[in-house]
Amino acid sequence: MGGGAAMSAGTLAKRPLLSRHLLDKAAVWIVLFILLIAAGFVSEAFLKLNYLGNLVRQAAPIGITAVGVTFVMILRGVDLSVGAIVSMSAVICALVMDGKAENLWLAIGVTCVTGSLIGLANGLLIAYGRVSSFILTLGMSIVVYGLVQMGTGGTARGIVSPGFREFLNGRIGNVLPVLAICFLVAVIVGVFIQSQTRFGRNVYHVGANPEAARLAGIPAVQTTVIAYCVSGLFAGLGGIALLARTGVSGTNPGAGMEFDVLAAVILGGTTFAGGRGGVGSTFAGVLVLFIALNLANVAGLPFAAQLTIKGIIIIAASAAHAWIGRSGGDRTE
Amino acid sequence: MNRAQLVIPFFSRLPPIVWALLLTVAFGALYNPQFRTADNAMNVLEQSATLAFLALGQAFVIAGGLIDLSVGQLVGLVTVVACMGFEALPGWGLPVILGCLFLGAVVGAINGTLINHLRMPPLILTFGMLSVLQGCIFMLTDRSVGSSIPAIDFLAHGRVAGIPASLILVILATVIAFYCLQRSTFGWHLLAMGNNATASRKAGLNVRGLTLIAYSVSGFFAAIAGLVLAGRLGTGFPNAGSGLELDSIVAVVLGGTPLKGGRVNVVSVLAAVFFLGTVSNLLNLMQVPTFTQILIKGIIVILAILLERPRWAAAPQ
Repeated sequence: MGGGAAMSAGTLAKRPLLSRHLLDKAAVWIVLFILLIAAGFVSEAFLKLNYLGNLVRQAAPIGITAVGVTFVMILRGVDLSVGAIVSMSAVICALVMDGKAENLWLAIGVTCVTGSLIGLANGLLIAYGRVSSFILTLGMSIVVYGLVQMGTGGTARGIVSPGFREFLNGRIGNVLPVLAICFLVAVIVGVFIQSQTRFGRNVYHVGANPEAARLAGIPAVQTTVIAYCVSGLFAGLGGIALLARTGVSGTNPGAGMEFDVLAAVILGGTTFAGGRGGVGSTFAGVLVLFIALNLANVAGLPFAAQLTIKGIIIIAASAAHAWIGRSGGDRTE
Repeated sequence: MNRAQLVIPFFSRLPPIVWALLLTVAFGALYNPQFRTADNAMNVLEQSATLAFLALGQAFVIAGGLIDLSVGQLVGLVTVVACMGFEALPGWGLPVILGCLFLGAVVGAINGTLINHLRMPPLILTFGMLSVLQGCIFMLTDRSVGSSIPAIDFLAHGRVAGIPASLILVILATVIAFYCLQRSTFGWHLLAMGNNATASRKAGLNVRGLTLIAYSVSGFFAAIAGLVLAGRLGTGFPNAGSGLELDSIVAVVLGGTPLKGGRVNVVSVLAAVFFLGTVSNLLNLMQVPTFTQILIKGIIVILAILLERPRWAAAPQ
């Protein structure tokens, strides 16, 4: 998935890294395959279509958000404000819906616009301020959290439109959950943007070598701003998906989600190295993360252990991808 | 020579953060009668101690061009472990304290070792460690546990001749940090690494050793901060350190340290800590709602990061 753009970035580098590159792309799919087989040994239920559909449905809010963050991370950036944007989106969407069916599309539109606006603010500050995206987006998450708390007074408000949750939590033909389909559509849209649009190609070029990209006339600043907008937009959609799953459950339902998103994207091979990875790999990364956490659940590990596992996954996956990327003899530190 | 000629150059040489601190204090003293009492001033200094230790430790790491996002949760872990230890082992106060300091240094050393050997970006590694430590805390407890001991209480609340004991310790730590970072060979080497790690390695500096020491120091200081916080809270609260890592980075950056490393001013970092403490105190006294305070804090973070922007930054990162 999305091999075209990544491949051209690989050949541009003029190194004999085709096999290494393929290994880097395939690693997460191999892990996913092995994990599924291992899960199958634990319980046959893991291999049933019903469970797999459920898994994708469960993963939808984090997965949809991760699609957007992937673009930012190909660019060597990171977006830690997505957790706060997801919370904000769920709150705003419920507030605008106000329990009326006719407000549904208005609410979705408003949510997408506000998510993109936060992303736009991130993008402008990072592209023109040339500052660390890590710290800036952390700061932005505090700002967004503060705004949401001020706007709601700290209590959950808003009522979702009738039929909204029923439709999204339903299943088509009693098999495929609608939310799972939404996630898959988001992935397909992401793959399309990444491989078929000029923006998608530019993201890879700027991420692989910002200076060379600038000299080649690629609009790095514009690409950066759009990437953060896309991240904000997908986080907005992730918030709507979360609202569909949990309903009006508080003012900060997305708290800590940036951890899962980051873990999934890094698992997929989109590390801070820049110019590598892609939306398809992120999809596999999300599934690996959720199967691993489900397995931990089945094994009876407490929630705390899952936090530790997530941290170890972030470290190990990032180290593994760094190692794969290096093992061809490129020893520059 | 008139007085202005002496005074103006002195003030124009002051780092911007000291100006910000002086202006905030002046504003508070003029407009808020509660703010200008000596008692309140001592309170602010006392409450800033936790962040001061964290920021000093973070200054070592950032000066070397690295970063440590795990210190917040490390503070929480030390607070929980210390209070559990004090309760479980009465009479063993000192060994527990030393054990906690050792724990902090070891966690820091693990960070440094992993960064050296896995050759990972410090941001990702310490971010992962943040999650690992959080998991460790909640495996120990999901609610407040244990209790403090008088010695630690004194460290947090005690006064020596009217001066907070914690302030004395903070000043001591600042002097040590100043000497290590700005007046010793180790400091020169660390700053050289922050300026250009590759060139430093080629010039024969032990880059891995420097990284290891910087993270161990950061972990050690985080452990001190955790002990002081244990005294202030009187119990081991699992979420005690959440978000402190960001506060410490903001303090270091406000203190004029570029995030890319290579330059540091320990006294400015301390001034930044007191600035953040004073702003928070003033907002409380002016009865600004909590949520507005959160918003203001976020804006300070963004402004700090925008102001530190080095002109020579090559790429948006």
